[in-house]
Amino acid sequence: MDYRRDIPLAITFIVGVIAVLDYYTTLEAVTNTFTVIKNWGVVLQAFALGLGAVNLFRVHGKRVSERTRDDWMFSAWLLLMLVLFVVVGLGTGQYDASTQYAWIYNALYMPLGSTMYSSLAFYMAYGAYKVLRARNFEAALLFITAVLVIIGNTPVFPATYQGFFHMREWIFGPIVSGAYRGIRIGVGIGAVVLGIKTLVGLETGYLGRR
Amino acid sequence: MAILTPNRLVPLAAFILAWVATYMAIQMGKQGKIKIRRIPGLDAIEEIVGRSVEMGRPVFDIIGMGVFTDIYATQTIAGLSILSYVSTLCARLGAKLYAPQASVDVLPVAAEIVSESYRMEGKLEELDIEEQLPYLSGTQFAWASGIIGMAARMRPAGNIMIGPFWAESMMFAESFDRVGAMQIGGTARMYQIPFFAALCDYVLIGEEMFAAGAYVSGDPQQIGSIAAQDWYKLAALALGILGALLATAGVTIIGDFLKM
Repeated sequence: MDYRRDIPLAITFIVGVIAVLDYYTTLEAVTNTFTVIKNWGVVLQAFALGLGAVNLFRVHGKRVSERTRDDWMFSAWLLLMLVLFVVVGLGTGQYDASTQYAWIYNALYMPLGSTMYSSLAFYMAYGAYKVLRARNFEAALLFITAVLVIIGNTPVFPATYQGFFHMREWIFGPIVSGAYRGIRIGVGIGAVVLGIKTLVGLETGYLGRR
Repeated sequence: MAILTPNRLVPLAAFILAWVATYMAIQMGKQGKIKIRRIPGLDAIEEIVGRSVEMGRPVFDIIGMGVFTDIYATQTIAGLSILSYVSTLCARLGAKLYAPQASVDVLPVAAEIVSESYRMEGKLEELDIEEQLPYLSGTQFAWASGIIGMAARMRPAGNIMIGPFWAESMMFAESFDRVGAMQIGGTARMYQIPFFAALCDYVLIGEEMFAAGAYVSGDPQQIGSIAAQDWYKLAALALGILGALLATAGVTIIGDFLKM
C-alpha cells in the first residue's frame, strides 16, 4: 500500500461523496458534516495564504539581496507594499475596514488594476487584427461575420437601416447560440465525468503521482 | 420530510447514470475496445517542450487562477494533470519550466506535482521550486502583469495555458505571441475560448481539456473513460432534438421532465 497516494485518494473520495450528498439530499447530518468540512477548507486556505506570503518573501527577498537581476527594485517595491498593507491593516485594528487601509488600496492598487483592465482594449484590437485577416475561406467568412456584427453594434448603421440590427440579432441568435450551447453541454458533461474520475481515484494527475 | 432536495431528482438520476457510463467505459477501455481521435493541441505539447530545448528558452505552463473550492475546480484539476505531464517532459528533455501561481491553495499542490515529476526523472537538483513556481498574486491584474513581465524578460519558446481563465487570457495570449512563443490554450470558460482561438497555435475547445489528463496518460482505462463523455453528449443531443421538436408541436413533456 502506497500511503502517500492512497490516503489522499481516500480523503478525496469521502469528501467528494459528502459534497454530492449535500447537493442532492436534505439530510441534516450530511449538511452539518459538509459545513464543518467547508470550515476546515477556510482554515486551510488561511494557512495557504501564509504560505503564499512566505513564498513571496523568499523569492523577492533573494532577488533584492543578490541584486543580480535588473528587476530587483520591483521586488523591493513589492515587499515594501506587502509590509505596508499588513502594518496598516493590523496597526489600525480595523483590518481592511480602516480608512487608512482603504485609502492605500483605492489610491494605489485600484488605479493600477483599472489601467491594466482598460489596456484590454488594445489587446483585443491586436487579437482582432490577427484573426480577421482573410487568408482562407473560413477566415474570410469570419471576417464578413465580424464586419456585419460591428455594423449592427454601431448605432449609426441601425439608425439608418434597421435591418443591420436584425441581422446582428440573427447572427447572435440561431448561429452563435447554437454553437455556444453545444460547447456548453460538452463542457458540463466533461466536468461531470472528470469529477467522477477524480472521486473514484482514476484521475490522479493532481496528486503528481501516476 | 423529503430526503431529496426539490427539483434535483432528474439531475441525481443523470449523475448516477454518468457514474455507470463512466464505469462501463473504463471496463471497455481496459479491454482495448475504445479508440479515440488524436487531439492536435495535446500532441503539440511535446513539440513545444522540444522546441524550447532546441532554442534554449523556457516553457511556461499557466494553470489559471482557479481554486479547489469553486465551480471551476475541475478545470484546475485538468490544468494540474497537464502540469504533471509538462513538468515530466521538461525534466526528461532538459527544458526550463516556469509555472507562475495565483492561488495559494493550489500552489503547494502544483509544487508537489512538479517536484515529483523531477524526482521521478532523477533531475530534482535541476529544479528551483520557488524560482520556477513563484506565487505572483491572488488578484487578477497583478498576477497578469507579473506574467506579462516574465514573458517579456524571458522570451519563452512555448506557453501552455490550460485551466480556468478570465480577462487575463487575452493579455497572456498576446504577450506570449509577441515574443514568438508557440502556444496551446485550453479553457472551459466560454468567453475566453475566442481569445485563445485568435492567438494560440492550438486550442482545446470545451470538453477536450477535461479529457487532457486521460489522453496524455496513454492509460487504456483512462482513455476509455473519455468515451463516457461522448455517450452522454449523444444522449443530450438526442434529448435536445426530441425536446425541440415536441416543444415546437406544443408538447413540453421533456422540459417538464428535466425540471423534476
